[in-house]
Amino acid sequence: MKKQRVKKLPNYPGSLKTHSLLTIFILCEAVAIIAQAYFLARAITFLFDRMPIGEVIPDIGFFFVAFVIRYLITHIEMAAADKYAAKSAQMLRDRLMQTYFGRSHAFVRQIGIGHLVTLAMEGVDHVKRYVEIIGVRMIKTAVIPAFIVIFVFLYDPISSVILVLAVPIIVIFMILLGLAAQMMADRQYETYTRLSNHFIDSLKGLETLAYLGKSREHAKKIEQVSGDYRNATMRTLRVAFLSTFALDFFTSLSIAFVAVGLGLRLIEGDITLLPALTILILAPEYFSPIKQVGKDYHATLDGQLAMQEIDNLISTEESRQTNEQTELFDWQQDSVLTFDKVTVGIAEKKLLDDLRFNIRTGWNGIIGASGSGKSTLINVLAGLLLPTDGSIQINDQPVSSLKNESWFEQIAYIPQAPYVFPLSLADNIRFYALDASDEEVQQMIQEIGLEDLVRSFPAGIHEKIGEGGRSISGGQEQRIAIARALLSGKPVILLDEPTAHLDIETEYEIKQLMLRVFKDKFVILATHRLHWLKQLDHILFLESGELKHQGTHEQLMNQSGNYVSFVRWGKEESG
Amino acid sequence: MNRWIIPYIHLYKGRMSLSVIYGLLGVTSGAMLLFVSGYLISKSSLRPENIMIVYVPIVAVRAFSIGQALFPYLQKLVSHDIVLRILSHYRQRLYDTLEPQAIFLQSRYQTGDILSILADDIEKLQDFYIRTLFPSIIGIVVYGVLAVVFGFFDLPFMLMMLAFLGIIVFLVPFLSYKTMRRKHLAIKKKRGSLYQHVTDAMFGKLDWMVSGRVQEIVHQVAEDNKNLITSENKMKLWHHKREAILRFTAGIAIILVMVWSDAQTGSSISPTIIAAFVLMMFSVADALLPISEAVEEIPLYTDSIKRMEAFEEKDSMADLPAVRENIIWDRPAIHLDHVTYSYNRSAPPVIDDLSLTIEPGKKVAVLGKSGTGKSTLLKLLSGVIQPATGKIHLNNTEMSSHYLSSAVSVLNQKPHIFHTTIANNVRIGKPDASEEEIIAVLEQAQVMRMIDQLPGGIHTQMDEMGGRFSGGERQRVAFARVLLQDTPILLMDEPTTGLDPRTEHDLLVTILEAAKDKTIIWVTHHLAGAKLMDDIIFMEAGKVKLRGPHRQLLKTNNYYKQLYQMDEGI
Repeated sequence: MKKQRVKKLPNYPGSLKTHSLLTIFILCEAVAIIAQAYFLARAITFLFDRMPIGEVIPDIGFFFVAFVIRYLITHIEMAAADKYAAKSAQMLRDRLMQTYFGRSHAFVRQIGIGHLVTLAMEGVDHVKRYVEIIGVRMIKTAVIPAFIVIFVFLYDPISSVILVLAVPIIVIFMILLGLAAQMMADRQYETYTRLSNHFIDSLKGLETLAYLGKSREHAKKIEQVSGDYRNATMRTLRVAFLSTFALDFFTSLSIAFVAVGLGLRLIEGDITLLPALTILILAPEYFSPIKQVGKDYHATLDGQLAMQEIDNLISTEESRQTNEQTELFDWQQDSVLTFDKVTVGIAEKKLLDDLRFNIRTGWNGIIGASGSGKSTLINVLAGLLLPTDGSIQINDQPVSSLKNESWFEQIAYIPQAPYVFPLSLADNIRFYALDASDEEVQQMIQEIGLEDLVRSFPAGIHEKIGEGGRSISGGQEQRIAIARALLSGKPVILLDEPTAHLDIETEYEIKQLMLRVFKDKFVILATHRLHWLKQLDHILFLESGELKHQGTHEQLMNQSGNYVSFVRWGKEESG
Repeated sequence: MNRWIIPYIHLYKGRMSLSVIYGLLGVTSGAMLLFVSGYLISKSSLRPENIMIVYVPIVAVRAFSIGQALFPYLQKLVSHDIVLRILSHYRQRLYDTLEPQAIFLQSRYQTGDILSILADDIEKLQDFYIRTLFPSIIGIVVYGVLAVVFGFFDLPFMLMMLAFLGIIVFLVPFLSYKTMRRKHLAIKKKRGSLYQHVTDAMFGKLDWMVSGRVQEIVHQVAEDNKNLITSENKMKLWHHKREAILRFTAGIAIILVMVWSDAQTGSSISPTIIAAFVLMMFSVADALLPISEAVEEIPLYTDSIKRMEAFEEKDSMADLPAVRENIIWDRPAIHLDHVTYSYNRSAPPVIDDLSLTIEPGKKVAVLGKSGTGKSTLLKLLSGVIQPATGKIHLNNTEMSSHYLSSAVSVLNQKPHIFHTTIANNVRIGKPDASEEEIIAVLEQAQVMRMIDQLPGGIHTQMDEMGGRFSGGERQRVAFARVLLQDTPILLMDEPTTGLDPRTEHDLLVTILEAAKDKTIIWVTHHLAGAKLMDDIIFMEAGKVKLRGPHRQLLKTNNYYKQLYQMDEGI
């Protein structure tokens, strides 16, 4: 995917107000800059003419006032930009969260949750930094040089011509040097990335190197590559810094030109000291905004990239799906869940194609090889994904989707790696049932066989687990998720490959535990592990998104078809 | 701070001085450009008869304008060269620190990508030199030079200016540092809280939804977000106030210079110098003002340094080979004699009085629940850790990590594939291997047919074209790397985890075929392929719970039979 970047002024709520305000402030600043230069020049000229200091004091005073006002305005501008940036950043983060919970899971699967977290944290930071600098900078570049050059023109047209002519020369050189640096960087790109990645690559491979018995020898390689990296970087930097050099060079040369020109005309008597000095003081101010343009290149780039990505995420509206639903239903022992022509995905990219089935309380299995659509179906059942076509019914009552408060109240979901919150063990277990007492939690711990773990914790059930707390094994995670589901008393249990990653002994124990505690629930289990098949009351066999067979294991074994070969092959493989 | 910064300042004091000199020359050129311009204009306005009087200032103006651009350019180049040199030392040092802990990094730091964080830390320290150290030193030197210049004309005025500019050079930076350290801590805490809740919200999405608690977490995140932004705003506001104060001070300094130079005219200097001095002060102020900003960043670097120092204090426990002994091993047997091992004294031993013999050429599967010691057993067998009590022998030689890659090779759980060519990845285990040898092991690993179809053959970059190599193929390359070491004993730590069943099975068959003469000790989490092994060992609490050949266990042990039946499926 090619990364896009926006180069326009950020357009978040309050943008017009902020940018108008900024323009007004910057106009004031331009006036203050000119006043500051003018009064300073007057003061110096009068002193130079040996006027008594007492008579010059008003001019010195005016200079100081203009000087103070100028910097006050500068900081007010920045503070206004900061405020706008802060508000935008806060809004973006909130919107990202709302989008994340409001939309179906499809987009998360594309970009990954990890990246989404980074986007919400660092991505928003980048946007914030960009918004802070870009508005002020763009308006300043447009306003201040223009104001100054007009003022100079009124005094001394020749100097204003020098100032105006300097800009295109600077721009042309900047472009040429920028291109040269870019070409150089492109040429070296491969070497450069290889060298700069080498170190982190080595750190990540450290364990492997150690086991190969080569970790000590590799240290020499680090030294050598670091040297190469330095040489390559310096070669690029020499050119890259040239553009700043050129900018400085041409601006200060222009100032020198102006100064010398003024000097010569002073000698000729074509101009007097006061205007000459004023212009000399204004010349650096004229170039100052232009010199800022190339600064903070990386902050700008990162900001633009992040802004584009976040804007895309929060602005894409999902095709009309009503998320707020009023349908209320309870899952009863005799309830039936019906899928009628349910399809997910469009045209050639169908993840699920025309699924039709009825399932009811008992153990239901979604079986198939990896890539057959098991996870997609479980995600639809969990309300994380919305069908693109077809209808879902509960007790023959159509529901527009399972992304529905009433359905969420019924279900508990246990994935391969349940998320453990950085809370106490007890709070993790009563996550779905906040009002459960410590005694009830204790009881649940007995039920699912975590007493040994609790006994090993100094704080018992109040010991913190998860990030920053005690680490727990995969089997213990599963037990906690089971306890969570049981304690809430939810009737529908969704299991997504809950045991395949566990060692065989733990898998055996967890399986026995699940069979026992979820006996009377409406269980839907997605798995490729064959040992579950006999325990299932109803099997949905998927292949490339299509429902190929359904029924009990015995029924399916008696049909000729892919189910039989799927089971046969699996049997051979493990035996 | 001391250990990670000072030694390198010492090491590069020459180059650093050069950088500071260039920086100083840059500031001087800027100041002199304005100074001479002011002088030039004042002098010209007196309309001298002879243009030659202003000839020297005219040339000087041009010279200084070039200097103003050239010296900062040189300063930047020199200072970047210095930090790149220092970066190279840092990398070396970090590598040397982490290397002895290599085999424990995974288990010690399960969460977070600590290695990337550390690599970022040393990159960040570059900024310390570029953004804090050099600007501060240049600022202070400019301050000193200014003192000398004023002192030359007027000693009391010099003292007054020193005291006054001291506000910019010392007082405000000091306050800045103090304040920022506090604010930085507050912001860090709030960021941490926001980060944790965003992570909770996103990774636990469905848990929030099914518990009807979505609003709760959304509010929590919004609250954290607001707190963080408020803190950041406060910091920003403080910045603006500080900058305003600094500017205000600078403005007064400029006026003081103006008044002073006026008072001096007639006595020690001519009136033409008034403009010169005043304009010069603008440039000088620009060199002094950044000191506060430079100093306030110090708390950011101390975090990084602390993190790295913490790593330097860890003892390694591991025993990695510095020298390797090139003994030709002839199918050694492995003997464990009452071996005990524990990671810390208070905890129960991970390996508890374990005695075991593995005959040469045997294929042994090791199973056990997590925490029963199977990975530790593998580490002991590879020699990277030594038993606390008891002995491990290969035939009659006591095991040590010196025999890694000659007697024993290890295919660890997630073998790293380096960002280089296939050939280089395989060669890492045996740097002097010929291309034929590499092709031979890749063929044994049954991945050569796939590699032959690549345009670059074995010289194709592994990371190029992203998804070109599947999980199974990457494992095969890693296996070829181990095969190239051609050791009589091969240790494997769940090399098939994460592969789908079919790929897993194919890889296992390949491995057993390629290593049919070798001893294989294979830590695994299920019984797929158990039939192909000679011996199955179940561990529990650091001891062998169950051991025997597959057929025998199936007949005599009910527990094993149940597990096997479950794994087999139907």
